Amino acid sequence: MWVSCSRWRLFVRRCWSRECQETMLCALSLFFVCILSACAFVLPVDLLLPLAAINGFLVLHGLARRGSIMGVVKLGVIQLTITLSLYLLLYGVGHLAQGAVVVGRIMLATIPGWWLCITAAPERIGEVLSAFLPSKWAFVVAASLSLLPYMAEEVREIYQIQCLRGARITPKALRNPKNWPELVYCVLFPVLIQLLKLSRQMAVAAQSRHFGKSTRVTHWHSPRDKK
Amino acid sequence: MKLLELDGVSFNYGSQLAPVLQELKFSIGAGQCHCVSGPTGSGKSSLLNLLAGVQNRPHEGEIWRHSELITGLVMQDPQTQLLRQTVGAEVAFALENLGIPAENMLPKVQLALRRVGLFLRLDTPVSTLSLGQKYRLMIAAQLVCEPHLLLLDEPWAQLDDHGVSELLTVLRDLIAEGMALVLVEHNAAAFTDIINHYWQLEAGRLSAGIYTVRDTPMHDEPTRYRGSASHQGKVLVSAEAFDFCFDGCQPLFRCPQGFQLHAGEIVALVGANGSGKTSLLKSIAGILSLKLRIPLKVLGRKPKLGVYGGELGLLLQRSNRQLFETSVLTEMQFSLHRFGLPKERAEQMLAELGLMMLAEQSPHKLSYGQQHLIALASLACLQPKVLLLDDPLAGMDKHYYGKVWYLLKRLSAQGCAILMSSHRVVEHSAVSRQLSLYNGLLTETIFAMDERDVG
Amino acid sequence: MKKKLPLSLQDSLFIGFCATLLVALTSMLRLKLGISGHSMFLMSFFYLICYGVLGRFGSMIACGGIAGLVAMALGVGKGGPMILLKFILPAIAMDLVALLLPLTLSLHWRCMILGIVGCMAWAVKVALSNVLAGMAFDVVLIQWGASVLKGGFFATLGALLVPPVLHRLKAHDLLHRDKF
Repeated sequence: MWVSCSRWRLFVRRCWSRECQETMLCALSLFFVCILSACAFVLPVDLLLPLAAINGFLVLHGLARRGSIMGVVKLGVIQLTITLSLYLLLYGVGHLAQGAVVVGRIMLATIPGWWLCITAAPERIGEVLSAFLPSKWAFVVAASLSLLPYMAEEVREIYQIQCLRGARITPKALRNPKNWPELVYCVLFPVLIQLLKLSRQMAVAAQSRHFGKSTRVTHWHSPRDKK
Repeated sequence: MKLLELDGVSFNYGSQLAPVLQELKFSIGAGQCHCVSGPTGSGKSSLLNLLAGVQNRPHEGEIWRHSELITGLVMQDPQTQLLRQTVGAEVAFALENLGIPAENMLPKVQLALRRVGLFLRLDTPVSTLSLGQKYRLMIAAQLVCEPHLLLLDEPWAQLDDHGVSELLTVLRDLIAEGMALVLVEHNAAAFTDIINHYWQLEAGRLSAGIYTVRDTPMHDEPTRYRGSASHQGKVLVSAEAFDFCFDGCQPLFRCPQGFQLHAGEIVALVGANGSGKTSLLKSIAGILSLKLRIPLKVLGRKPKLGVYGGELGLLLQRSNRQLFETSVLTEMQFSLHRFGLPKERAEQMLAELGLMMLAEQSPHKLSYGQQHLIALASLACLQPKVLLLDDPLAGMDKHYYGKVWYLLKRLSAQGCAILMSSHRVVEHSAVSRQLSLYNGLLTETIFAMDERDVG
Repeated sequence: MKKKLPLSLQDSLFIGFCATLLVALTSMLRLKLGISGHSMFLMSFFYLICYGVLGRFGSMIACGGIAGLVAMALGVGKGGPMILLKFILPAIAMDLVALLLPLTLSLHWRCMILGIVGCMAWAVKVALSNVLAGMAFDVVLIQWGASVLKGGFFATLGALLVPPVLHRLKAHDLLHRDKF
């Protein structure tokens, strides 16, 4: 009994590495954010104030982590303007407060998501989400994420080459939707061809390394994890 | 011991398409090294996929495999085969898929890395490795399963000379250990030390022999062929002394003397993989913005994307990426149309290169060599004043290699300044100067013209 | 449409790459253009490309799901977990409606209908949160209508570009499908 307990403890200690801790913390944050966002919609009005206080802490924490709140503020202002104008037009001044509460709720549902983006490392969020996916799709997500810099570079290079070839796809030219088809033909179309090729190459690369052969897949733990 | 045998194997990518491989007969034994050479698009990569057993389409004929045969395949571009973020995880990927317990992985991973001479920390990010290291990492990722047969696709074109010599050492040891090797390679000469069987694949048929890039002498005209004298001396690109560094980083390289590009000359920019050749070309074209700007003047202006119109051309690697039109002719006319130049130039250019039969074909149905030439020709018919080419000779077979040089010499005669990068010294009489980029230093090498003309 | 399952690894990777590119381009264009509703242009384009290239039920849902996950993992957008809904709702609607559309209908019309359906579902996500927040029904409806109009323009534009692109891919022998 004692032996199995100590083995269990050893196992737990091994698993409880720094990265595991971060992943666990991220999973908890994700859960917390979902609960907070849901609360913004379901709580009665008199409980919104405590919720706003919690969100206030999240904002302060996010700002302390050098997050930019401007996007959320912009969203709030636009939402407030549109909603209040519509309430004013449709129902008169008496219902403005009601409209403000609605916008408040929407903002309270948005802030936790903003906070999560700032505090949790994106790859940890990806790891948590991948845990719920079948192994093939988890691999696809991981491969797509790790290839993102390569893809971004491909897109950039193709875009630049076509700009040099005289294509009307400079940021200024793209303000006119007339030129959007040119962007699709000159850039997106060659990029799609590259993606088709890339997916074929990566599938061959993975299959040549026995991907999908065994139903029981194990996971590599870097030696650093085991310390 | 025989490991694998092909008997009368034919293969195609669609019932209506021409067969890629026809009636192949081929046998591989333990400890042997076979080299298959052939022009681009001849089906070499398809053959490797077939040997590796990862070709999903059906084939005709018989493929016999030893019951315990394990094959390992390393394709051309290591970048598209990297599936994980760290060195250890990358090598362990195959073990994960085979369900090997995590505690048994470490010694296997370490051994595989040792066998390819990579002595790195297991948590080293893959992105920090050089191309040569990445290629060896891909070999380690296959060796970890202890394959009996290793298949390599065109390592020479990918690696610089240092990378090739590193790879040769690794391969020699593996063959000595009894592993069989099949190399698909344009330039078989680089691996003569280890090859015992030569094959050439042409028009889908396999026969004994070597197909090399430069097995026929190029009818080069002497350097003096270039351009009329009136173009000479006119400086089109000039840079004062500079340090080339990406934002907040150590300099990638230094150029203590600066450099110039004159009208009508072809200059080679030679350096190892990752030395900064492409970045320099991009900076000259104005598509790479650096915090610390290079004191560079191109056609009398500071480089900026789109300011030169048709006067500056840039051809990056894998130039088939830029093709998008439905026919070769419209592809070539695209820039002419955009820059308001006569469209007839496209037809004239095709006729001059003897490629009129391709005019109405889809550019994506052409071979790599043809695509590359079409991309280059569509720049050439703009008659640019400055042409920047990133490794334009990589992976070219002898036929198109000659045509590329014809085009370059023709442009140079019209007064175009051409700067072409390469990871090997460009041995061609039309090259007048070389900018060498080694050990973080960009310096100029002037060839002794008399020597070259004699050679 | 064929209902063969599961997707091959190559097809799955293609979907994954399309989804990732969609997210990356959406965030890049947001910085450059700053026009609201433009995300529907790329969304309808990439979802319909998956629909055209693979021709299977579930390809758009897979693309939307991965795009949502990737967007969350990359920290794109302001809404956190809500971004998952933004990407997956249009995909689900489009895939379901694609099942109902007759294959005899021309690809142009199918793409356009699916693009608009996707846009309506995209606007539903906003409407849903508005309803949950207790917004008056009239206001929800007006806002939803405005979103549909705004996004609809971009979605239709994106959708209309899909058939020529698919035909080009086919003409270049890059697709192995006989019919869309």
